[in-house]
Amino acid sequence: MEIAFWILSAITVMGAIMAISLRNVMHCLLSLILFFFGIAGHYFLLHAEFLGAVQILIYIGAVAVLIALATMLTRHITGEEGPREVLGGKWWAGMGTAAIIAGLLWAIIRKDALARLLPTEAANISYTALVGDIGRALVADWVVPLEAMAVLLTAALIGAVVIALEEVIRKR
Amino acid sequence: MNVSLEHYLMLTAFVFAIGLCGALSRKNAIIVLMGIEIMFNAGILNFVAFWHYKYFVSLTAQVFAIFAISIAAAESAVGLALVIAVYRHYRSVDLDEMRSLKG
Amino acid sequence: MDTVYQFLQHAEEVLRGIPLVGGLLARLYHALLGGAPEWVLLAISIAVPILFVVSVFPGIFAYTTLVERKALGRIQNRIGPNRVGRWGLLQPIADGVKLLTKEDIVPRSADKFVHFLAPVAAVIPSVLLFSVVPIGAGLVPVDLNIGLLFAFAISTASVLALFMGGWASRNKFSLLGAMRAVAQVISYEVPMVLAAVAVVMAVGSLSTLAIARAQSGGILNVSHWFVFRPWGFVGFVLFTIGAMAESARTPFDIPEAESEIIAGYHTEYSGFKFALFQLGEYLASIAMAGITVTMFLGGYNGPGSGPGFFGGLISVFWFFSKLGCMIVLTIWIRGTWPRVRVDQLMSFAWKILLPMSIVNIVAVAMWHYITIRPIAWIGTTLWLVLWFVTLNKLAATEKIEKREYRYAS
Repeated sequence: MEIAFWILSAITVMGAIMAISLRNVMHCLLSLILFFFGIAGHYFLLHAEFLGAVQILIYIGAVAVLIALATMLTRHITGEEGPREVLGGKWWAGMGTAAIIAGLLWAIIRKDALARLLPTEAANISYTALVGDIGRALVADWVVPLEAMAVLLTAALIGAVVIALEEVIRKR
Repeated sequence: MNVSLEHYLMLTAFVFAIGLCGALSRKNAIIVLMGIEIMFNAGILNFVAFWHYKYFVSLTAQVFAIFAISIAAAESAVGLALVIAVYRHYRSVDLDEMRSLKG
Repeated sequence: MDTVYQFLQHAEEVLRGIPLVGGLLARLYHALLGGAPEWVLLAISIAVPILFVVSVFPGIFAYTTLVERKALGRIQNRIGPNRVGRWGLLQPIADGVKLLTKEDIVPRSADKFVHFLAPVAAVIPSVLLFSVVPIGAGLVPVDLNIGLLFAFAISTASVLALFMGGWASRNKFSLLGAMRAVAQVISYEVPMVLAAVAVVMAVGSLSTLAIARAQSGGILNVSHWFVFRPWGFVGFVLFTIGAMAESARTPFDIPEAESEIIAGYHTEYSGFKFALFQLGEYLASIAMAGITVTMFLGGYNGPGSGPGFFGGLISVFWFFSKLGCMIVLTIWIRGTWPRVRVDQLMSFAWKILLPMSIVNIVAVAMWHYITIRPIAWIGTTLWLVLWFVTLNKLAATEKIEKREYRYAS
């Protein structure tokens, strides 16, 4: 179990680092997909299998496809890459902020009071969250957020189509 | 070495910082959105780690994670539609060129 | 895998029970694996399904290509390949040798890494799909309790290969072909998954083994098949259409048709990489046929199937014959129907199939809650038929006049 954790963490972190630092957008997207697979692996390791499958289905099957389509639509199809980015001021600002945030989070996690609250091993219950239980929780306890989510997704769908639609009518 | 909740929290903190760095320092709008997705995923993994180590029986965390994944997908859809619409106007996705609100 | 593991643990008793050769087989087993430690049995129980999937299904793929070419030839009033071996039986081997020995051309400005990875990304999901298809009673490589969801997640991950191929070729036409292929695949995923949701609702579990088991019983093990229910029939049609569009088979083969944008996303691929793309596509088609058989056509159920040794053998026979029927159906449809245009394709998916699949879900709910069976049959059928007619009227764009045929005389 520990080896799996370290391998998956290595995949996840490498995927994330490559996703934000490679030059070619398509390579960034591919490493983002690797990152998503790593996170899905972590979900499977944490006994949340339904969530792992949902992660693959939605993030890799939909969000990554969306990003790829957007990349394809926003490139000059002549094949050139576009201006290359150079390591400059923005990088140092970004890395500095990230380092501060990471340092803060590490300090909070390591602090003794919190460490006492956190259990050191997994709870002894071997419980695989069956899909039926999640389904029942969704429609019994959490039905209002579910309906709100449906409205949100519909609004996002219609909104995205409207925003990205070509304004042919106005050109007349 | 037993993998404890601490390890997961540090992993997600690290990944969150990576996503934040990416979202702040790249000038391609699409990669900024990718950084935001990385941050989302780190947060949701955090939730699921807590669920596994502490609140195993209650399914609130998994339901929350499902909602968070849906919201992230909706947000990325709208964000990318915006990028496409802006591209049509500026002919590039370079964030440094999107300076003026006019037009 | 579980079945193989259990078999290995109790092998001697099981083998002794076989008439005539039982004692001999049991002694053979004892000589080979008598005192083997636990991990050997585990390794064997993992290796056997993997070897089975990797050898049987590509073999089925090879002979499917032959059957397809001969069947298409006959439909088009010609004989298919018959030169290589009697009846063309060695044609797949000849094709394999040809594709393996062709020069592997990579365009100079192509993105080499992604260009190399795209065919691999096309094959891996297709092979992974076979891990949740039950080929016999209790015989599934991995019995996941989210088996069907895993299958759909993996098949959505196969969209990536289309992108990678289209983008890495640095070819405008590949890119356009890839975008159209992606639009087609993701549009047809939605009604396909929703049609499967109807089956999941009826069974109450996402495990493919449970879905197949729920269709056993009844007259001759046949009458409980979901295809013989109103909602199951509509779901079968929707799922088959979606599966054909997923693997880009005619009438939805715009990505790869001869008269379309060169060859779409696999234009710049030659030799073995092209063979891998074809392998991935056909394997996806066969795997989707296997999942259709599991969900709607009763899986491995048929007269005589059941638990036990001989019941298991008969169930494997039934599964493969049903799989063969589904493959022949896809080939038949390919030879007979014309291709749809890309806008007809999208409007069909979003305006007719998606509402129909949602209506189907409501039909399953109606079937479940109306407890008096005859009323359930009539009510569900009426609901589905009315919605089908309404959707067709709403989505019809132009008035189709009755054709007048004039023959040369």
